[in-house]
This record gives sequence, C-alpha cells and structure tokens, in this order.
Amino acid sequence: MPERVRQMLPSVLSVLLALGVCWALIALTMEPGTATDAYLQMLWGGIGNWPAYLDGAAATVITRPLGESAMKAAILTLTGLSVAVAFKVGLFNIGAQGQMLLGALAAAVVGAQVSLPGVLHVPAALLGAALAGAAWAGIAGLLRIYRGVHEVISTIMLNWVALSLVDNWLVVGPLRGAAEGGQSITGTAEIQATAVLPRLLGEGSRLNLGFPLALVAALAVWVWLTRTRSGFETRAVGLGAEAARAAGIPVARRMGMAMALAGAMAGLAGAVLVLGTEGRYPGTLGAPYGFDGIAIALIGNNHPLGATVSALFFGVLRAGGTRMQLLGVHKSFPELIQGLALLFVAGRMVWLALLRRRNVAPAASAEVPRA
Amino acid sequence: MHRGELLAVVGENGAGKSSLMNVLYGLYQPDAGVLSLDGQPVRFKSPRDAIARGIGMVHQHFMLVPTLSVAENVVLGREPTRNGLLDLERAVQEVSATCARFGFQLEPRARVDTLSVGSQQKVEIVKALHRGAQVLILDEPTAVLTPQESDELARVMRGLVAQGHTVVLISHKLKEVLGVADRIAVMRRGRCVAEVRAADTTAEQLAALMVGDGQRAPAATSTPAVSQAPGEPLLDVRGLQATGDNGRPALRGVDLEVRAGEIVGIAGVDGNGQRELAEVLTGLRPLTSGSGALLGGPLSGLTPAQARTRGVGHIPEDRLHRAVVKALSVEENVALGRHTRPPFAKGPWIDFKGRRERTRELTVAYDVRPPDPEVALRALSGGNQQKVVVARELDARPRLLVVVQPTRGLDVGAVAQVHAKLREARDQGTGVLLVSLDLEEVLALSDRVYVFFEGRVTGHFLRHEFDERELGRRMLGTTEPGHA
Repeated sequence: MPERVRQMLPSVLSVLLALGVCWALIALTMEPGTATDAYLQMLWGGIGNWPAYLDGAAATVITRPLGESAMKAAILTLTGLSVAVAFKVGLFNIGAQGQMLLGALAAAVVGAQVSLPGVLHVPAALLGAALAGAAWAGIAGLLRIYRGVHEVISTIMLNWVALSLVDNWLVVGPLRGAAEGGQSITGTAEIQATAVLPRLLGEGSRLNLGFPLALVAALAVWVWLTRTRSGFETRAVGLGAEAARAAGIPVARRMGMAMALAGAMAGLAGAVLVLGTEGRYPGTLGAPYGFDGIAIALIGNNHPLGATVSALFFGVLRAGGTRMQLLGVHKSFPELIQGLALLFVAGRMVWLALLRRRNVAPAASAEVPRA
Repeated sequence: MHRGELLAVVGENGAGKSSLMNVLYGLYQPDAGVLSLDGQPVRFKSPRDAIARGIGMVHQHFMLVPTLSVAENVVLGREPTRNGLLDLERAVQEVSATCARFGFQLEPRARVDTLSVGSQQKVEIVKALHRGAQVLILDEPTAVLTPQESDELARVMRGLVAQGHTVVLISHKLKEVLGVADRIAVMRRGRCVAEVRAADTTAEQLAALMVGDGQRAPAATSTPAVSQAPGEPLLDVRGLQATGDNGRPALRGVDLEVRAGEIVGIAGVDGNGQRELAEVLTGLRPLTSGSGALLGGPLSGLTPAQARTRGVGHIPEDRLHRAVVKALSVEENVALGRHTRPPFAKGPWIDFKGRRERTRELTVAYDVRPPDPEVALRALSGGNQQKVVVARELDARPRLLVVVQPTRGLDVGAVAQVHAKLREARDQGTGVLLVSLDLEEVLALSDRVYVFFEGRVTGHFLRHEFDERELGRRMLGTTEPGHA
C-alpha cells in the first residue's frame, strides 16, 4: 500500500465510521428507512438535487445547494488551513476563532469606511482581514517565542479577548452602523457594493469568489510548504526544532511567520463571511467556524490539501444537513458526524495498528526503527 | 542460553541484534518461531509479560524520567503505597536494599538528571533487578561509558553472573566482549551465523564472522596519522568560559588552537566540558567570558547559521536530537543546513532534481543502506543514520569540522569508514576537532590531544608524546606523575 494512501486511510475510515454510527442512531430512534432518506436529503441538499434536475426542474435545484456548500466549504477550508499551517511548525492554534473575528471586523471596516475602485476594494478588504488575523495570531506567536507562553493557553484566552473586544464592544459601540431609514440595525454599517465578493452562479446561488479564493489559498500553502526553502525550514522546525536550530534555521522567525500565516488564513475566513454573505459584521458572528477548523485540519491529517478535501466534505454535509429537518431529523447531525469523525481520527494510532495487522506487514516494518 | 552465563551477541549495524532482543523482551512479536524459557514455550505479548517471567532489559537509549529521583525511577510502575498514596520512604528503603544486595553505589534520593551517564545506566540495571529480573539484556551498554565506567560495568556483570543471573550483552566492541563474555553469538543479516566460546576465539576471527566470509575484516583503526605541516590557524580561543545546562560553569578558561590539516582530539571523562566546547564552537551555546577567533570572525555572539556560513561542520553527539529530523526523508536530511544553496535550492525554491542526484551520489559513496533518498530517515538503522550525517557534513567541505562521538554505537565496518573519511578530510586541509569518550579512538586519529578535566585543559600532547597512562591520569585530574 503506498505511503500516501496509508496516511489518508485513518481519516477516510473515521469519516465512514462516523457516518455509519449516525445512520444507526437515526435508524434506532426513528426508522431505518428514515435514516437512509435523511442521508439522501442531506446529499441532495449538499451537491444539488440531480435527479430532480434531470427530470426537468430548474437549474437552481443544483446551483442553490452548491452555493451553500461552497460558502461553508470556503470558510472551513480557510480556518482548517489556519490550524494546519500552525501544526506544521509544531504549534497548536486553538485561536482561529478569535483571529477570524478580527479578520471579519477588519473586512467590514475596510468594506464600509474606505472608498476604492471596484478592482481594488475587494483585495484591500481581504488584505486588511489577513493582516488583522495575522496580528492577532502574532500576539500568541511572540508570547511563545519570547516568553515561552504555551500557544494553546494564549490562543484560547485571546479568543475570549477577541469576542469581548469585537462583539461586545466595537460592534455595539464605536463601529455600530447608523440607523437606516429610522430602523436601528445590529452590527456594523453595510459594506459598499464595490467590496462585495462577486457571485459566480448568478443571484440564485450564494457561490461567490470566496470559494475559488480558498482553494487557491490551500494550493499556495501546499506549494509553499513542499516546494520552497522557507516551507522546508518550517516543516523541519515542526518535526525537530533542535536539529533545525543546529542546522542554522532561524527557529523563532519560522514559528512567528507560520503563526502569522495561520492568523491570516483565519482572518480571510472572516472576510469571506462578511464580504461574501453577511454584507456587514453582524451583531454576532454566529457559527464557530474557527473551532471547526481544528476538526477540519485534524481530519485532513494537517495537510493543506487534506484539510481542503475535509472542508469540502463537511461543507456539503453542513449545507445539506438543513434538509434533514424535512424528515424531522435535527439539523445538528452533520456537526455530530464531524465531531465523531474527529474523535475517531484522534485514535489514529489505533487505525494504523489495525491496518498493520492486515498483511501490510512489509510497509509497516519499514517504519520500525532498528538499532 | 544457560543460567548463570554471560552471553554476548555481536554483529554489524542492522544485523538484527536489537530486533532479536526486542522480541525476547516482548516489544516485537515474532512472525514465526518459538521462544522457550526454562524448557517451556512462552509468548510475550508485551514487556509486562517478559518482566513477569524475570527478563529485564537495559536499552541503548535510557528509559528514565530525568526529573524523578533514582528511587522513584526504580519503583516506577510498581510503587509501594500507603493508604493509596505513594510511600516514598519505603521506596527509598527498598531501592537502597536492592543496591546493597548487588553492590551498587547509588544515592536513591538523587535526581536522575544530575547523575553521570554511567550512574544512570546503573539505575537502569537496578530497575531491572528490582523487578526480579533473572535474565538481563544490555543493549550496547558501553557505547556511552568512559573506559573506567566500562570496567566497572564489566565487574558488575560478572558479579551478577556469579550470583546466578544470566546476562545477555549486545555489543560492537569485540575486545570488550572477549574480556567479559562466556559465550559469543555472531549475527549477520538477521541470522545467527556462529556461536563460539570467548576463550577459544580472537577479535580477528569474530570480525571476519561478522562481516561475512567473502570479505576481509576491516583493518584495526590504529593506522598512524600522516603528519603534515600544520596550516593556518582556524580556531584560536583564550580563556574560554561557558555555563552548562545545569547552570554551573562547564568551561572554566580554556586555551585551545586548531589549524588547517590536523585532527585535534579532546580526551576526557564524560561531563568535563567537552560537549559544551563543541556547542560553543558551533554557535549553539553562548560563551560567558574569554575571546576567540573562529575562521576569521569573533567567537562571541556566534549563531549556528553564522558558524555554517563561515565553514564550520558539525557531527553532534546526540544524533536523533540534533543532527537529523527522523520524520523527514533521507534527501531532506542531506539538505538540512545547506538547503538554501545549490544543488539543494534554486532561488527560493527547492531543487528536487539536484537534491535527489546529490543524495544518490552520497548514499553510494558512503554505503548508506538502503540507498533510497525518499525513505524516511527513521527507517534506517542507527549506523546508517550516522553515515547520512557524516556524508552531509563532509560533503559541505567544511574548513573546521567539530565532531563529537562520531562512532558511538557503530559496528566495526562503519567505524573504520567514518575514521577513514575523517582522515581524508584532514588530508584535504580541513581542521578537525574530535571529541570522543573513547580514548582509543582519540589516540588513533589525533595529531594532537588536549585533555579536559573539570572544564580546564589539564594536558596537551603531540602525537609522539602519546602515553595512555599519563593521559588517563590527566583525565582524572591527578596530574602528579607516579600516583597511578
């Protein structure tokens, strides 16, 4: 079995097992037929109702669900990348949520307060979001490098600081949008039309530029990590910091840069949410996509492309999950599947041990160090 | 093997010695074959089973918790308790009793990280004995020991055998094996190819058996160095001081010089400042006082990156920790430290083709097995990992090469190869600073030797002045002649 396949198998099997467990849960509490129907609904809700389309329904039965999936997948990809990039340098970024809030706010401010020509406005808002996220993650990075503060502790705490700073003060206070037509609104002022991420499949679908942007970001991170000198240095620091130091690699700089890049990715996730769908920083940012990023990265084996695939899959599940409600199945099941898959992936060593026992012995024995 | 016997298992790197012992200790499962203990077939699912049947193992890399005391380490896993709480007093008493019974001098309350390597090894042995081990397996036990400590260990092993224990000793050092073992089993490529009585054989015969019939045994490593006129000074330090990991002064005013085209040996018992010296010279440890010139620049404020650009090569002592990243591939490890220069990089990009080609050349030239640039370094045996490190450092054509314990745990063939490569580098004009705890190695290779004791130079010998007994006295700080 090729090494690459062997690396992916635990994730794939974990997701399948999670799907199976959740199917059994629905089947046991309702009826087996309902469980299968619910899964089908979830599928059509995620990738579009192709049978109906082929029977002559309007194209929106395809484009609308795809738009919802792509929107969620784009954000999950970016927060997943955020966690995965930090992992590569050996840091555990629990702070994607806080970095995303800062990025979202920066995008909302640049989108609403700055006037720029159309071609520049979106890049400027994205850049602002990336910088805000990078700065927020950079705090944790600097604390780790210069003061030895563990990044898990600092990023968790910075999440709360971000929440208080953004949701509880700036958005309801200084940055609150002015009332429109006598109606008071929650959240910041609406972004200008030039800052809106263009939609790609027409107005019927929320698929916007954020989706290709996330894919390009994933590809760029992958190329950087595997093809460039600095990416190699980053991986070397993550896998053996002391050996990297002895080899003359600037360990602190690599850690700081990887952490900043992680923050930038989370910040972009916030920008995609604000510029693509919300149109402003809403009263509260809703779904904890930043925390989902941890699950996405781990299920994707902390590989930039693995995280992307896992984000696409769970994006589809999340978008389709709402359709389960038609059958009386709660829409939180996709999240349950994601949580279970994460739980099973955490038993990675168990999976590898199980796989090893199944006549994969030659490949496995190569990994056992000899004296 | 028989009760009350000392069996030695010898063989080249990757011959399967450690794998065999790991099967005996229950770490690996046999694919086929039967293991018998006292005439009964047994099957160990884990080390727990092996321990229960009286088998103890001392690993090449110690398995101790550095921040716990000797007593805590020994009782770990079967701690005496009182009211469900750890009864440390009883642990200390028990461990003291075990030490006394087998004649070990260890302070049970001492923290393990404050002990010398030799003492830590004794803790490992006591740990095994404390769990009632009748059969004791020692994997490369003398690789890390000073000559004095090795002699001490030999006494300990003979003492255990005299008390009816069985000792299995895995080693590369043939001379030592011959001195201590009753019987010697020779392994080659996963098979036991010979079993001889120690009294009936010689080191040459054993070496021939290990390497195989077709090949001659590698020559002994005592070929005299070719004395050449020393070249330009590469390193000149005066009054060098530095602090050790424990916060105490490790170097207390060292004067030292290395010139191009010579091998300068540092002899000394472990923990007398040699390691810290190597770290200062490679930019890994700051100096606290003193002045020095290293390849045309100051020694103070040196970073590892600067050391590399000036032309310092480094073969560190702690391979897995400092020299390689074992999760990376062989070719990535070959590039490590030089990854910003051709043929490993093209601008900001990795040059995959150049890296692959250079790695292929080096794996062939240095006989790295398997010669596969893509395989993860962790899949290589320790000896082959070291070959990768030596290949990388010499391939960079360093002007000054700092080498620490380059042949620790290597088999005879690999040792000879590493030594030959170091001489070759010297002959091409590289200045080599060789730190080794193996006095024989230092004397075999060096053109000059500095003796270290407690962070100071206590002796300086030119090649024609080498005198093992006098060096030994200087290493122990007894500089008065005639006190031996």
